[in-house]
Amino acid sequence: MRSGKTDGQLVFLIGINALVVIAAMILVGDRFMALYNFQSMGTQVPELGLLAFGVMLAMISGNGGIDLSGIALANLSGVAAILLAPSLVSPDAAPLGYFLTFSAIALSVGMLGGALNGALIGYAGMTPIIATLGTQLLFTGVAVGLTGGSAQQLGYVPLIDDFGNMPIWGVPRTFALFILIALALAALLKFTRFGIHLFLMGSNPTAARFAGIRVKSILFRTYLLASLLASVAGIIIAARTSSVKWDYGSSYVLVAILITVMAGVRPEGGYGRVICVVLSATALQILSSLFNFMQISNFFRDCAWGLLLLLFLANARVHWGTYLPPVLRRTDRARS
Amino acid sequence: MMKQRMTLLGALAASVAFVGACPAMAEDKEIVTVVKVTGENWFTRMDEGVKAFGEQTDGVSTRQVGPARADAAQQAAIVQDLIAQGVDALAIVPMDPSTLEGVLRRAMGRGITVVTHEADSLQNTQLDMEAFDNAEFGAHFAAQIADCMGQSGKWTSFVGSLGSLTHVQWADGGAAYMEQFPNMELVSPKNESFNDANRAYETAKEILRSHPDIRGFQGGSAIDVIGIGRAVEEAGLEDKTCVYGLGLPRDTSAYLESGAVDGISFWDPKDAGFVMNVLANKVMNGEPIETGMDLGVPGYENVVVTDGPGEGKIVRGQAWVDVNASNWNEYPF
Repeated sequence: MRSGKTDGQLVFLIGINALVVIAAMILVGDRFMALYNFQSMGTQVPELGLLAFGVMLAMISGNGGIDLSGIALANLSGVAAILLAPSLVSPDAAPLGYFLTFSAIALSVGMLGGALNGALIGYAGMTPIIATLGTQLLFTGVAVGLTGGSAQQLGYVPLIDDFGNMPIWGVPRTFALFILIALALAALLKFTRFGIHLFLMGSNPTAARFAGIRVKSILFRTYLLASLLASVAGIIIAARTSSVKWDYGSSYVLVAILITVMAGVRPEGGYGRVICVVLSATALQILSSLFNFMQISNFFRDCAWGLLLLLFLANARVHWGTYLPPVLRRTDRARS
Repeated sequence: MMKQRMTLLGALAASVAFVGACPAMAEDKEIVTVVKVTGENWFTRMDEGVKAFGEQTDGVSTRQVGPARADAAQQAAIVQDLIAQGVDALAIVPMDPSTLEGVLRRAMGRGITVVTHEADSLQNTQLDMEAFDNAEFGAHFAAQIADCMGQSGKWTSFVGSLGSLTHVQWADGGAAYMEQFPNMELVSPKNESFNDANRAYETAKEILRSHPDIRGFQGGSAIDVIGIGRAVEEAGLEDKTCVYGLGLPRDTSAYLESGAVDGISFWDPKDAGFVMNVLANKVMNGEPIETGMDLGVPGYENVVVTDGPGEGKIVRGQAWVDVNASNWNEYPF
């Protein structure tokens, strides 16, 4: 079921990453290539990358799948955790216990939100774009209601701050976590029955149903997983900024979709690769930082994102694979 | 197959690592001002001050950046990239002070000078610059209202919302000032306009109905005076009422001309941008910041320095600008 075209996407993304880095070296020089800058960019990727994974899962499931509620749920998870956790564990006395409690509450809220999305789309059969737009507003509203609209301070807990900002063996911890999650997600999609059924369902829901795949349950679990990933993003945001607020990252919804489309995930469903989403997220981050280094207006960045989106949609129509040396034209399995 | 892929990846990485990098040039000290959002009149005006400081100061280059959309996450990303670039000083107007705490701690850890504006709750800053003391600003409105009313009669105050800390401080500061005049009577204080000129208008109309003899209005948010002015104009009370408050010259000009609004005050973002850079430069050069300093801009000639919530200090000026029908067109915003 693979073709030269889809592998072209991966090579294309690797090429784009290399191209942007080489451009940065020529245009900016040493300062861009410093380890600190790569660590700084590394800490910025995970929150968007995780949200993009959510969008990817929704898109693979087909039926116009999309998850617009990601960042709203990430913020709500952080808000709920920051309000509840201090009453259970003291951050000063037991920082690790506090952080674990914080994460557990955030993940539970993610599960609840995901169950709602999953029930609306999977069992009630609502259109994903409408359902997640509704839950996005609901999650935002609850977060505003709980906090009265103001930012909630996490305070300076060294352990959490280290997790959010400090590298370990040169790699930012949140980035390492992001890569681990990517590997786990890739394995889940490639080797489990859930993963295989998800792709089959996305390719052709009618055939999937007649083949005995439990479409409703698969949809439910897909959106549950997407929301769980969003709440992990919420934990990372809280750790990185030492605070949570309902309107943090209000521009993330569109950027997450852009990353997903750039990664070649098919909006009609049935195809998407985790590694492509990771590479797409890093390419966008390096480019974004390059713009900041080169002092290019942030309005131009929005324009550039639009251009990139068109470029990648065009790329999906061209069979780059046919121009590649045969060694790169893999035609076997591999969807992760 | 996988092996070949890895070889390719390795080759790419190697080629990336071996392409020569241009050496960075050592030049002027760089102060970068980060604003909440670019393209807004307020921050376009601030940019003038930032540029002016860079032009008249040797050995320092200045520039202003900000996100295209008002999103705290985008502002934090910009600050993070600036830290990685290794700029010498940051002058920041935070979208949401608390989200920048971690990032700014890192900036200071790397030896970058950090100065902020409109963020007196921020802990990780060396210096926070405020245009004025909020209670004094409120008292300044009240003094004008009292003068205009001959120290006697009914007056009221508006706030954007009771959650807007600065607005409430202005209203309280005004009320405290008025206590010295026994004939001034404060009625239904701190009306909320919710930053909506229509709500301010409706509320002002209600107050005019329930207190037909009211003469004084103190506005809170920048659009309060617009709503009050419209209500006063409709009631034909332009010459009998005294309306003062925060406002922007262009927006309020029609009511200033008709006399429905008597005067507005604000702080000039151009001066704020200039002074932030002055302070950043001083801190960068290790000069002490003390009460009574003259920063070379009207309103900041005799600043007050107090301790902030963290390690840093707060610098306050008396930098409000008063505008009325005679001089509003001197300000292009």
